[in-house]
Amino acid sequence: MDCRETQERLLESFDGAVSPLEKSQLERHISECPGCAQFAVLQSQLDLRLHEAIAAPQLSSGFRVGLQARIAQQRREPWPDWLPDLAHLAGSAVAIGWCALLLPLPVPVVLGAGGLVAFLAYSLQTLLVSALEQKTD
Amino acid sequence: MLAQPGGSFARIKAMRDEDVQSLLRRRCFATAFELLLDRYQEKVFRFVYSILKETGRAEEVTQDIFLKLWQVLPDYDGRASLSTWLYTITRNTALSALRAESYRKTQPIEGCDPPGANWEAGLRHLEINQLVRRLPEAQQQVITLFYLQDRSVEDVAQMLDLPEGTVKSHLHRARQALADMVRS
Repeated sequence: MDCRETQERLLESFDGAVSPLEKSQLERHISECPGCAQFAVLQSQLDLRLHEAIAAPQLSSGFRVGLQARIAQQRREPWPDWLPDLAHLAGSAVAIGWCALLLPLPVPVVLGAGGLVAFLAYSLQTLLVSALEQKTD
Repeated sequence: MLAQPGGSFARIKAMRDEDVQSLLRRRCFATAFELLLDRYQEKVFRFVYSILKETGRAEEVTQDIFLKLWQVLPDYDGRASLSTWLYTITRNTALSALRAESYRKTQPIEGCDPPGANWEAGLRHLEINQLVRRLPEAQQQVITLFYLQDRSVEDVAQMLDLPEGTVKSHLHRARQALADMVRS
């Protein structure tokens, strides 16, 4: 193992990726090579200082309580997402039914026109809901 | 109901992402969420901290991320691994927070220790942090995350969506560059 390879392996050793055999080869080379020995000491000191300086912060004790409160707030959403669709469908069905009964027109014409109006109204409602959601995001 | 912090450590250690995926397939979202929280809350927090560099704000954004996770958990389709999915949400949310609030302009000076910290240690930290800040951005990010995540190359690679070899390469270059700075 030459100096270049030794220094490469030495750097890898800080990532925990050196086998016991490579470790013994490293130690042998370092014991005989002052340049690599100096490199090893320097890298060990750097590793120690980096470990000390880049200390991991801790979450506060209130983290989970705060998250729980925010989730509970979300759960209190008053209406399910599908409710406007259902309300629209039910309202349209009732209105078309009454029109078919009361208007002096053939039932297929009323059903066709009513279906078309209901479809247009649903498309408009979907566009409005989508625009409102984008605004609140 | 969420579990209290510091739940069974053995349970967290033994749990794998596959167990969570199995819970999700059975639509046990609350339990799956709780397990994900136990397993990832610290890692996500440290990842966010590495981007925002401010503890209080990092904690708020970590809450935002888990709130988002709670909302979208039923939509998880299993195509990406859970950790990849969660780290993608984390990265995007933290970077949005950084952009929105221009944290780079207001971030505190790194290396300033909390009150009461030993002066000598503070100086040492300041020196090493100053050296780290002279590294290229990618090397800074990798080496900071590596030490924040308990020296796990695998975690850093997943968080940054990089191959492990690339993470190791950044780490080696950073160590070489730091050694050169110290020697010069």
